[in-house]
Amino acid sequence: MSVLQIRTEHIIKEYPGTRALDDVSICFDSGRVHALVGKNGSGKSTLVKIFAGAIKPTSGEFYLNDEKLHFNSTSDAYAQGIVSVFQEMSLVPGLSVAENIFLGRLPKKHNAVDWRKTYQMAGLLLQQMKVNIDPYEQVSRLSMWQMQVVEITKALSFNPKVIMLDEPTSALAQNEVQNLFDAVRALRDQGVAVIYITHKLQELPQIADTVSVLRDGKLVGTVQMKEVNHKDIIGMMFGEVNIQSRPTDIKVQDELIMEIKALSRHGWYQDINFKLKRGEVLGIAGMLGSGRTELLRGIFGADPVDGGEVVIEGKTYKSANPTKMVEAGLGLTPENRKIQGLILAHSIRDNLCYASMNITADGWLENKRKRNSFAERQVKELDIKTSSVDAPCESLSGGNQQKVVVGNWLNTSPKIMLYDEPSRGIDVSAKQQIFEIMWAQARKGVSTIFVSTELEELLEVCHRILIMRHGQIVDEVNPDEISVNELYEICMRGD
Amino acid sequence: MENVAAAGLTFDRKKILIFLLDHIIEVCLIILVVGLAFGANGFLTWANWMNILRANSLKGVIAFGMTMVIIAGLIDLSIGSIVGLAGVIVALACRDLTAAGVNLNLACIIGIGLCLLQAVGTGWLHGFFQHRTGMPPFILSLVSLYVFLGLAGRLSGGFPIANQFPEWFNQLGGGRVGGPSGIPIPAIVLLLAFVIVWFIMGYTTTGRATYAVGGNPESARLSGINVGKTKIIAFITVQILAVISGLMTAGQVMAGTFTFGKGWELDVIAAVVVGGTSFTGGAGTVWGTLVGVIFMGVIGNGMTLLNIDIHTQYIVKAVIVFLAVLLSSYRAQVKA
Repeated sequence: MSVLQIRTEHIIKEYPGTRALDDVSICFDSGRVHALVGKNGSGKSTLVKIFAGAIKPTSGEFYLNDEKLHFNSTSDAYAQGIVSVFQEMSLVPGLSVAENIFLGRLPKKHNAVDWRKTYQMAGLLLQQMKVNIDPYEQVSRLSMWQMQVVEITKALSFNPKVIMLDEPTSALAQNEVQNLFDAVRALRDQGVAVIYITHKLQELPQIADTVSVLRDGKLVGTVQMKEVNHKDIIGMMFGEVNIQSRPTDIKVQDELIMEIKALSRHGWYQDINFKLKRGEVLGIAGMLGSGRTELLRGIFGADPVDGGEVVIEGKTYKSANPTKMVEAGLGLTPENRKIQGLILAHSIRDNLCYASMNITADGWLENKRKRNSFAERQVKELDIKTSSVDAPCESLSGGNQQKVVVGNWLNTSPKIMLYDEPSRGIDVSAKQQIFEIMWAQARKGVSTIFVSTELEELLEVCHRILIMRHGQIVDEVNPDEISVNELYEICMRGD
Repeated sequence: MENVAAAGLTFDRKKILIFLLDHIIEVCLIILVVGLAFGANGFLTWANWMNILRANSLKGVIAFGMTMVIIAGLIDLSIGSIVGLAGVIVALACRDLTAAGVNLNLACIIGIGLCLLQAVGTGWLHGFFQHRTGMPPFILSLVSLYVFLGLAGRLSGGFPIANQFPEWFNQLGGGRVGGPSGIPIPAIVLLLAFVIVWFIMGYTTTGRATYAVGGNPESARLSGINVGKTKIIAFITVQILAVISGLMTAGQVMAGTFTFGKGWELDVIAAVVVGGTSFTGGAGTVWGTLVGVIFMGVIGNGMTLLNIDIHTQYIVKAVIVFLAVLLSSYRAQVKA
């Protein structure tokens, strides 16, 4: 089997204001699993999108076996045998495994679908993947890892030279991951170049042959997995981190405002206990799937809990709902602002005043003047960039949309704010503004719980950090006494 | 400098376009009225206009409730059956309670009370089941459509129950204020229903909550809005208006018939859609619905005056609904 290579030379990709990829030269060989790691925004996905033909590099070249590649669309990449499997499942649940694999290109005989051939070919491909999945099975009845494997099998049916897997294990349970790895190894042994993107470092020794680390759009280095350990890779990912210090005048008050007692939701988090003081900014660190988001939603009453209670200012809540919790003084900026936080087609004014609806109204009567002044106040104080409060929310940039979500809550004069990944998908200056808002609120005595994947952010913003793993709080650290690398290590440990 | 001016100009153009698209139905109505005033004999007379109002108020009353339901992202197909059922219930109450010795007026009022009770109960059940189980409101209210049509048919034995009502009941549907050529009472009820729903949607927290729930129920819920309650209020409103419509219909012919109102749900939805309310929920106006009701009434009346047969009228109405939906899709694109 001849070795095939896909490589880039001095690839640069610029977006307005940022350089997503900065002079990256990297080489992937066939018959190897080559992992690509890095923090959010390090440029991993940009690189993959260039290979997939979804975007074009600003400058630089890439080659398949010394043949220069020019992709105008994703179908060009397919034609060259470069296929990608993305996180979002693209399977049709109601169809069989085989139909999904050959979706849109079912084999035909006399203008009718040749079902026998369809299932035969699908069976063959699944055999190559060394998995025991029935091609006749309906996809909706498969487990998550099986769906992921079907997705990869579908990619395999294009006879690819290169397969890119983007976080394939993110939705899988622990025991399912091994099954998926077997399939990935089968793929590799057939001489396919596998590009494996992940943020789970503990997977690397098991699946990766080679590891490349990206940081801030630059290739930090490529190493053989045998020759390095966890710590080396974490060091490469983070480098020397300068943590900006939070303002010193924000003091945690002694008064207890909220206590979580033995809060549990089966399958998501168990026996969560912690206390929150007035004016405190409490961080919750943990990897994706550790239960952080679910915990916040449980506290806010957005999802039912199986046991435990939330005590706010001495009042006990056992089965809460958001309406009750808003009255109790809680606010939640949800993980996905577009789907859960905003009504995109409605005006900025309306979106700023939904949570405070009962405050801006006189009883059940709307007070338009009051509502207007509440909206205008947040636009001014949060520096929301818009020509008019009448404009629909969808006309705003991501950062400004996030500020609207926050402003919606500040209008209720909350006592406790829960932030779920507030800095996701917004630019650096908007991010900094969100932190400033948190601090300004803390000075007023508002307590904050801050969940984030970005550990540097937690170290910068919080007074105290809880660490979650597998639905449990496993540790508590003081941000002044710990480095990002150490924090990352604790989050990953035992996985 | 030039760039700034150009940007200002295009912005204004977009604003003007959106304003025009938002009020296109009013513009069309005016053109239609002017056209018919010249083209159709007897169109622009007081008697004809009162006739239009009388004929269209019965369905029109329900359209305001339907607007609320559609803005909340829901639908209620059962209203036609409720119209028939209301007449049957009151007629039966009048017949059977008086037979048992109850005063006729009291019997009639008890009947009306029962109808309203049924409306509140059905609306509540619709809201409760839709919210708790996530059942599609289309199917849920289709079930009610059949159940209440069947129930009304059974209760009435399949025949009209005539001549049971007290004299004054006729006033509800057939009465006029200001003499025999005065304003029909259904038209006044239409106006009242318009003002009430317009006020609820524009000036109360319930109205704001309804728009929010239709716009994005999850965001609304996470903002602390009581989504279930909001849906129930919308469902109850349309049911009560359907009962009121049913009482007026029965009053007009002085009989309760279970087939009254059959098929009205689609006419009502058509008027709401022509009035610019979005079927995806979260957007629409009660004023638009009033204009939509009048528009559909005027065009039907005009075509009748012009001796256009009823079958052609259906086709013309279909074209109008199609254009209205086309326009609102276009409007959504322009705004985005």
